[in-house]
Parts: sequence; C-alpha cells; structure tokens
Amino acid sequence: MCNMDQALSEMLEISEKCARCRCGCCKDECPMYSEMLEESISPKGRNVLIRAISQGVLQPDERAARIAYSCLLCRRDELSCTAKLKNAEATETFRKYLIDKGVPLLPEHDILAKSLENYGNPWQEPKTARRRWAKEFTKRRLVPGKTDTLFYVGCTFALDRTLQESPKALARLMDRAGESYGLLLEDEICCGSTVKRIGHSKLFEKLRKENENRIRSTGVKRIVTACSGCFKTLKQDYPDLAKDVEILHSTEYLARLVKDGRLKFKRSDAKVTYHDPCHLGRHAEVYDAPREILNAIPGLRLTEMKNSKDLSRCCGGGAGVKTAYPEISGKAAIRRLKEAEKTGAEILVTTCPFCVQTLKVAAKATGSDIEVVELSVLLDRHSEHKEVHIG
Amino acid sequence: MIDALKREELRSRLVKALGGQRVLWKEADLLPYAKDTYRIRFDEEFKYLPDAVVFPDTTTDVQKVVQIAAEIRVPIIPKGGGSNRTGMLVPIHGGIVVDTIRMNRIVEISAPNLYVTVQPGITLKELEERLFEHGLALNQEQGSLRIATVGGSIATSGFSRKHQKYGTIADRIMSLEVVLADGSILRTGPKVLYTSTGYRLHQLFIASEGTLGIITEATLRVEPLPEARDAIMAFYDDFWKSIEAAERLMGSGVTFAASEAFEVEDAEPYGGPKGETSIFYVLLEGTKGEVEAETAFVSRIMKETGGVLSSPEDAMKFVNRYTSQWCGARAMTGFEDALTTYVPMERMREFYDKLWNDIMPRHGTGPLPGEKYSLDVGRYRIMAGRFFLPKGEGGWEKYQELLRDIAKLTTSLGGSISSCHGVGIEHKNNLDLEYSEVALDTMRAIKNTLDPDNIMNPGKKLPDKS
Repeated sequence: MCNMDQALSEMLEISEKCARCRCGCCKDECPMYSEMLEESISPKGRNVLIRAISQGVLQPDERAARIAYSCLLCRRDELSCTAKLKNAEATETFRKYLIDKGVPLLPEHDILAKSLENYGNPWQEPKTARRRWAKEFTKRRLVPGKTDTLFYVGCTFALDRTLQESPKALARLMDRAGESYGLLLEDEICCGSTVKRIGHSKLFEKLRKENENRIRSTGVKRIVTACSGCFKTLKQDYPDLAKDVEILHSTEYLARLVKDGRLKFKRSDAKVTYHDPCHLGRHAEVYDAPREILNAIPGLRLTEMKNSKDLSRCCGGGAGVKTAYPEISGKAAIRRLKEAEKTGAEILVTTCPFCVQTLKVAAKATGSDIEVVELSVLLDRHSEHKEVHIG
Repeated sequence: MIDALKREELRSRLVKALGGQRVLWKEADLLPYAKDTYRIRFDEEFKYLPDAVVFPDTTTDVQKVVQIAAEIRVPIIPKGGGSNRTGMLVPIHGGIVVDTIRMNRIVEISAPNLYVTVQPGITLKELEERLFEHGLALNQEQGSLRIATVGGSIATSGFSRKHQKYGTIADRIMSLEVVLADGSILRTGPKVLYTSTGYRLHQLFIASEGTLGIITEATLRVEPLPEARDAIMAFYDDFWKSIEAAERLMGSGVTFAASEAFEVEDAEPYGGPKGETSIFYVLLEGTKGEVEAETAFVSRIMKETGGVLSSPEDAMKFVNRYTSQWCGARAMTGFEDALTTYVPMERMREFYDKLWNDIMPRHGTGPLPGEKYSLDVGRYRIMAGRFFLPKGEGGWEKYQELLRDIAKLTTSLGGSISSCHGVGIEHKNNLDLEYSEVALDTMRAIKNTLDPDNIMNPGKKLPDKS
C-alpha cells in the first residue's frame, strides 16, 4: 500500500470511528469552533463531511473545500476526544484527497502556491530577499565541510521585515556561545510546510526533494531552526533526512548551550508567560526546553497560562487558516492573548514566526499592554555580552 | 426536507430576519445536523437533513424564527450542545434547526440571592468556570459537561453526579423564559426557588425535548464553593460487596456530593490491586471539619465491607478524570448502546440478573467487558451498563425488540426507561409501558395546547396515538 493509500484508509477509519460516536467532545477548546460555533467547523463536522464525500452522498464543492480548510491542524482536539482520534491527520489527508479529485485550491491558498512555484517562498519575495536580514552575518555563509551545523532560517523569519530581529538574535546567541554554524542565505529553499498543510502534495514533494538535496550537499550533521513550522516539517515530513541529520529546534539547541554553561544571562525582574506553538508542542512534544531557558534567566518570573503545554490553545495562525479565515484567525489570537493577560505577565514569549505575527497583531488591535516577544529576541536582550569574532 | 419552492421562501425569510451569516442552508453545512449521537441505522446517517440551521443571538431572534416557521408550517428542532443520545435532535421531518449555541451570555449573577441567569447556549463547563471566579458553583457534573448546554440539559432533564447534595438541573431551576410555538414569550414565574402562587410552569419544560417551546433564558440556583473537598475510593473483588457499602452509605445520613459503584475490567490502571474488579468512590464537600469526619466515617464503611482503600491521590485523580470517560467506548468498540434505567434499589439484583442472564442472550448479545454493573449511588438510582448491539441480518429490528424487552423489565420493577437521556426517537414507542393511556393523553393535551400545529420537534418524545 502506498503512503497515500494508507493515509486515505486511516482517514476513512477515523471518520468511521467518529461516526460511531459523534459526541462532539472535540469542540471543547477547538479554536475554530470556539469562534464560529458551527458544527461543520469542528473535527466532528469535518469527519461527517469526509464520510459524505467519500461515500458519494455529496459532491465536493467550494463550500466543502472551505470547510476542509477551516482547521488549524493544531491537534488540541485529540486531548478532548476520549478515543484520541487523530482528526488533524485525517483533515490534512482530506485536503489532499480533494485536490486529487480536482477541487481547486481556495484562491487565497492558490496565491501562496503560485508564489512558491515562482519565488520559492510563500510571500512573493525575490530569492535575494532571504539575505536581507543577514547583513551582519554574511561571513556565516555555509561552506561545505567547514561546519556541521546549518542554521535554517525559514521563509517567514527571513522575509517578514517585522520578524527579522529573531534570526539576528539567534545568530548573535550562537556567536556568543562560540558555536560554529553556517547560513544558506539566498540559497535556502522553502521547507514546504505551508503547501504540505494545505494538501498540495505535488508541490510539497518537489520542494522537499530540492531542499533535501541542497541540505545534503552541504554535508551538515545538524540543522537548527527557530521556526516551529520548519522544525516539524523537516523532522516529521522528511523521513530520510531526519534519519541522517539531527533536526533541532532553536530552543532545544539553546537549552543545551545553557546547560553547558555557554550561554549566561543577566538578571531580569520581568514577569513572562510562554505560549507553546502547536508545531513545537503538541506536534513535536518540545515543552521543557523553552521553559528551561527562560528559567535560566536569573530573577525572571515565568507564569503559566490556564491552558499551557499540551493543553495550549492555538494562536490561530496555522495550516492556511490565517489566509483563508483572517477574521477568525484574529479572534483566536485575541482569545489566546487574553489568557496571557490573565497571568499578569508583562511579556508573552513564544517561538514561532506565525505565533509572533498573530499575537502581535492581536495585542495591537486590543491595545494590550503585554509585549509579544520571540524567545531568541528576549534571550538576546538578557544575554551576557562578550566580544565575538566571526569568520 | 420540504419542497424546493417552500424551502427557498424559508431561506429568504430567515436570511432577511437574521442576516446571511446566521443561516446555514448548503448541504455541506447541514450534514452534521442530520443526527445527534443517537445510534441511527448506518444507512440512514445522512437521511434526515434539516432545511436550514439558524443561529439566534437573542430571544427576539428566536421569536422571529418561530414566527416564520409557524407561518410556513415547518418543523423547528431546538439544539444545544448536540450530544443527545436518543435522537432528540434528528430532523426526521426536515425543518429548521435552531442552534442556541451562540446564545451563551451570562445575564446576571446574584451572589446575595444565590442565582445565575443565563442564555441557554452556555455550556455547563463554561458556566462553572465563570461562577468559580465569583466563588459560586452550579454543581452540575455530567459526562458531557464540556459540550452540553444549560438549555439542552434542562430540555433533557440531564444528570449530575453531584445530585445527592445539590440535585440535578431540574432541582435548580427558579425561572425560565421560553418562546412558544406561536412566537409569544413565556416567563414561567419570578426568580424564586419556592412559591405557592401559580402553576409551576417551568416544570413543563424539564425533559420537554424541544417539543413545547424553545428555552431562551434560565435562572438557576447556585451555591457557594465548599471550604473543603475530598474523595475516597475503594476496590472490591465483587461488585455486590461494593453495593453493600453503597447501601450502608445511603442509610447513614451522610450527605455526600457524589458516589458511584461499578464494575471494571481491571482495577489495576486505577491504582487497585490485581484481581479487583469493582470500584466504589465517594466525593465529599463541605466545611473542613465535616469533610474530615465524613471521610473517616466512609473509610470505615469501605473497610468493613471488604474494600481495599486506594491512595488519596488515586481517588482524586479518578474523580477528576470523570468527564474524559464519557464516550470513548462508542468510537472504539463500535456498535454499542448504554442503559440509563432507573430501578428501585431493592430490585437491582433482580434487574441485572434478568438483563444479562435472560434478555441479552435471547437477543444474541451481551455486555461490553467491564461494563456490566453500575450504580449512581444516592437519590438517583441509575442502573447503567453498556451492551453490544445485535449483529447480522435484522440486527436493527432485534435491537428494537431488545430495547422493548429492557423497557418491559424496567417498568415491571417500578422503574423508568431513561433517567437522563430523554426519549427522543429511541424510546418513544416504549413509553406506553411506563405511562398509562390517561397519562399519555394528558401529555398530548399539553402538547396540543402549547403547539397546536405540531411544529415543535415533531415525532419525538410522545408515542403516536394508536
């Protein structure tokens, strides 16, 4: 059985198990259902749709596609579902299934896909723009055989001008720790996370092959990335690469440096709370590393939100929802921000470019006093500086 | 579904009244409203689509929808969380599903008078969380509390495991607002717990299953949070020994909050010794002194009846995982159903003996492993159990016969067929076993007075007049 056949059979099995029960517990804390309160916009609702379409009761149409794309793939529902059904996996497969059936991508997603085909990134930026953030770090261009570690920046951190402090901060931290690493700059290729999540498997496979070849050609033994989406994709959707190359999220990498005493921080009396990105938390079960790092800053007070770690609520930024349902995505972000505010924290820390984007917009829209900061940026602020020589 | 012309008229009038964002009418959107968690025939999974789903925000919105439905003469199916298990929400004659889920505001919390007024669509979970912030609790813990709404719970006469100390939602209603079938708004009475003036109209809407009107507001009695809370749990090698303990507890006068005794496949995952097959737990709430004294008292009963006490941590862990155990078996085991029969205590053994040793084998089926015996200890005598549906050709018909035989047994012992899941479609043809023709005619007369055109959830609750 090929992978797609297996995925389809699992999708049908999940939707059948759900049909036997139909309790709707999955709606509890589902970020999309919480905002829309329509049965079809829930894991249960999508499972019903999967059954109806796969049994020929309903012909797939534009509305069915909208429902298929109404999921953040955040996996929070698996904790609410007594049977622990993997509804997010079923939904991702369903998207592929619809595309295979000839249902066109949503126009909003088509723009992302075309940008990837034409520019190699989802944000319609030229390839050379990838090195825009790295003016201070051009000497870190990766030379095969010279370093074992690739700092894989990812499209969004590299190209969103509002986020470029993050890769700079991470590079500075690595420099200060005396780490050897390299950057691909304009030669970096998109990991394909966005198209994978919207079910465009053909384009994903193309990107995966190109990216994997590029990475393998460098001979690195380790990839470090601060983007939770890239991390999940490289670690879980590049099975061959992940066998040969260690894939680390920046928080895991930095936690090692902290543990080894190679990164030290100045005292801080800040009160912070931490938002677990879905791709890092529930998808990859990295919960401790970011907290260990935050707790390594002397004096810093870390307070957990009501829903944290595996129970964390999605920021609303994932799986193409921000593009297809911008208003709902914004509401989900505000709901999460309110949870952060309730802790009394001054700073909301997270480690994913999409979470930073959505939560920052939510803070601005609501006039919140809380500051949304990417973890590397916070660490850079508190890092004990020492002179660094690059090259 | 109704005919195309009428449906188009309905859609356009609903859109005009509520706006396009609050009316669903495309098939892909209607599919999840074709059934609730009722064990419908699989080949009828998508048979009963509603014509439209609407999302009112206010009582006035509900009124507008009901007026349209009354004029066009289409059925209305009021909906809360959607977790009903007896088919109460299946739109067997099409019509409009009035989803109250966006009517989820808390209207008033009165701490001095210990009540809360809410719209019907708020979930029990959210309401408890919000009340907790005010040092109050509704104390309604049913398995589905994460998704069940206040309106749905009233319309089903929902269960609460904390019934012994705090009653069920039926005991906590002070006043209701209901939109009736002609669009008029009924206020059942003042926001008081007790009165001896008018007829207690709110009682009519408890377990009404949406057949008499749409509940649009409820005022419910709440209680202050207790000072202390503790759970105590024991394992037994024989279910009937745990029942001996339960009977002693019930006769003791201790006002426990919740208690259950039931069989499990294996007690080990719950921290019990190997070989033990039954669990009995008691949840105590009150002042610190009360809870300490009652814990000691209950421990003694458990030990004297052969129970092996669990650690306090395991007991509290077990109590706290209550809601996560609600429904998983359905998805994993497939074709099963659950009993929520209410049987007098002294007939319990007879009930289970006849159920498992006579009725089930006769229909070629039996219990799910570890789901044979269960008792909600206290005033609420649910004798529960889960069973596999009869399989093979004619399985559905055998299942209906099985339900009829269970109903015969339950009613012959002086009990009730469905203590907290309602009647819906599943039990309606067995109601003649539980109620006399005079009683059923009285119910039909009430229904006919409030809903002469039979637009409120038709075909549910009451058996057709033969």
